[in-house]
Amino acid sequence: MRNIYLIFRRDYFGYVKAWGFWLSLAAVPLLMLVGSLFTVFAAQSSPIRYYTVVEPGHVFAEAIDAEFERSEAAAMAQEITSQMQLPEGSMDNGAMQALRERKFIEVPSPASDLDGLRPYLLGEKFVSGPLGDKPLFAAFILSEDGKALEYWSDDVNINSLRYEAEDAVRRLARKHALEAAGLSPDFIQQADDAAVQVPARRIRTVAEQETTGGEVTLADKAPVFVAGALAYFLWLMVFSIIQYLLMGTIEERSNKIFDTLLTSVRMPELLAGKLLAVFAVTSTMMLVWSLFALSGSAFLATQVPGAGDMITPFLAAAASPQIMVPALVSFVLGYIMYGMIFMALGSLCDTIQEAQTLLSPMMILLMLPMFAIFIAFQDPGSPVVDVATWVPLFTPFLLILRMPHDPPMWEVALQMGLMVVTTLAVLWVSVRVYRAGAVNGASIGDLGKMLKGLGRKKAA
Amino acid sequence: MAQSPLVLRDVTKRFGGFTAVQGLSLDVPEGRIIGFLGPNGAGKSTSLRMSLGVIPPDEGEVRLFGAAPNILSLRRVGFLPEERGLYKKMTARDTIAYFARLKGMSAGAARARANELMESTGLAEFRASRVSKLSKGMAQKVQILATLAHQPDFLILDEPFSGLDPVNQQVLEDLIRAEHARGATILFSTHVMEHAERLCDRIVMMARGRKVFDGTLPEAFATLDKGASLEVEQGFDLAAALAPKGFDAQRTADRGHGDAWRIALPKGTGPQDALRAAIEAGAPITGFAPDEARLRDVFVSLVGEAEAAVLDTPADADEGVPA
Repeated sequence: MRNIYLIFRRDYFGYVKAWGFWLSLAAVPLLMLVGSLFTVFAAQSSPIRYYTVVEPGHVFAEAIDAEFERSEAAAMAQEITSQMQLPEGSMDNGAMQALRERKFIEVPSPASDLDGLRPYLLGEKFVSGPLGDKPLFAAFILSEDGKALEYWSDDVNINSLRYEAEDAVRRLARKHALEAAGLSPDFIQQADDAAVQVPARRIRTVAEQETTGGEVTLADKAPVFVAGALAYFLWLMVFSIIQYLLMGTIEERSNKIFDTLLTSVRMPELLAGKLLAVFAVTSTMMLVWSLFALSGSAFLATQVPGAGDMITPFLAAAASPQIMVPALVSFVLGYIMYGMIFMALGSLCDTIQEAQTLLSPMMILLMLPMFAIFIAFQDPGSPVVDVATWVPLFTPFLLILRMPHDPPMWEVALQMGLMVVTTLAVLWVSVRVYRAGAVNGASIGDLGKMLKGLGRKKAA
Repeated sequence: MAQSPLVLRDVTKRFGGFTAVQGLSLDVPEGRIIGFLGPNGAGKSTSLRMSLGVIPPDEGEVRLFGAAPNILSLRRVGFLPEERGLYKKMTARDTIAYFARLKGMSAGAARARANELMESTGLAEFRASRVSKLSKGMAQKVQILATLAHQPDFLILDEPFSGLDPVNQQVLEDLIRAEHARGATILFSTHVMEHAERLCDRIVMMARGRKVFDGTLPEAFATLDKGASLEVEQGFDLAAALAPKGFDAQRTADRGHGDAWRIALPKGTGPQDALRAAIEAGAPITGFAPDEARLRDVFVSLVGEAEAAVLDTPADADEGVPA
């Protein structure tokens, strides 16, 4: 144990003292911070634009304005009620509107035709509005026959205003048609309100139903999200250890240090120390990132009402043995399995260039479980996922993902057993490959011969 | 009776179709300095690596402190491999202390020992320098100190002098003598015979994977045909003059002003006997030199000139010391 600790300690501090580690450590929080700041900045710095509607009356202009109000309020209400688990309709439109700033403001038209509007639309002249003088971003001009509301702008890539107008005129046309049929606006509103709702309900046992009801809550969705996060976390960890294990082993091979080490420690101690060190390095990173995310969440909880309630179901799901036990088994076995593969391959490389030729197949090998994770997240019952879960290299990731969907226990037990057997087999082969590379100087080209030799030995 | 730190019995190692070591038997008695000699490719490093259990023998048996090499017996050994290597980003002191700790020393003792060794070898000012910043020779000294730091009972040094300048070669010779005086048994390989002549009380010679000699220095020299060189004035027949006295003389060169002769010394006679016989025979002697036997000559006599030519490859110039 002492030797494992010494190898672990040296390797761990060797990695942690490197600049690259601190850069990686800072990169994710920095990216999150810059990303969120950028999003806020982009939203806040997006200019408020003027538009005008050229029409005989003010019908379309009012319709577009009303459509803006309606869609903004509806979107915000949905977003907030779903995130905070508030009862639907609990936030009024006034409150909603205050949360979102309008990006398009209607101003009186400075001209009555396109030629007159042209200099304003091209930015050569400004129109007056509530935010001062600005160029005109867009103009809606009703055609002479009244059948088209033409949208004119110098920037046709921003379509949100046009889409709002399309919805507005469609709603207006429907209203006019129904009124023409003799139906009052109140009646139309009543008809809309009478539409049957389609609420989501979770089926439970009668006893559960009596205590928790049938409402779909975050507690129902949290296990899937937690399992997905754990699977992705494992994948990220495996992905990030490639460079540490490959480069670390190459460095030691090129430093010709193995003979010295192997006359002081046993091979399993050496490998265990190295694996633990890289595990600790990636864990340190993940821990720091998680602490950063938790601090952010805690801050959010103090700032946004209901955010604390939102976090609780996720913590409860994370503490559930049904998810955590298979997740822990998958983590340990998956890490050892992939770690040993990378370390054994690294021991066969003399240079970083050689290792780079190995990186592509390794990336492909690792992208496959990523695709499987994606499919499993979308459709856990997919036959692709069912089959892929039995492939030992994918099992650690997919088993975690399947757990919230209550797979048969015999399948879970068998898959865990298969993982154990595969991990032992990988360990057996990797230790021999590592010994051949580290001690006898075998290279990548010898890998095929070595594996054949191991097969023959095993058969004998 | 003291236990031999290392015993090899009929050890053979093959790499594919190539036999690196063939039937090697070796007994390293406690408290000796043993030179393991032979040209590059003779199987010295493979033998040493097998001795430490780094690679297993295909045949035969290795006993290190009376047992197959294991982590406990290895703790009593300090090993300097032929292919030098250190962690480039570690400081010199941390490197020495780290390897001492791997051999069982406590953190404090290892650090103190590292300081002490660096002080005594003139490396004190580099204790906080990273290995990558040290010169090749200095890095090698650091590795040697890391090998000695835990005060092992048995030192195995594979080509310890290669890569060192003459001054540091002398420093290393002094270190080896000091370790020997402390009580350590030392086995070192080299293909530079002079080091062995100066340091060893016993030598083992290897050629093409086989042991060709195992004994003390006097025993090694005793294998040579002894002789002396005489120069006499031109025209004098030294062979005819010495034959009745039992000496066989061969003219080897015409030196212009005289002839050079080589006299083979029969068993029980010395160079002075040949000189006395020549004087008594009235030889006009202009020069005399008794043969100065060198280990290289022993090696030549055992394996032939072609094999021994490999020994003349400049050792210290061509072997790198990757830090």
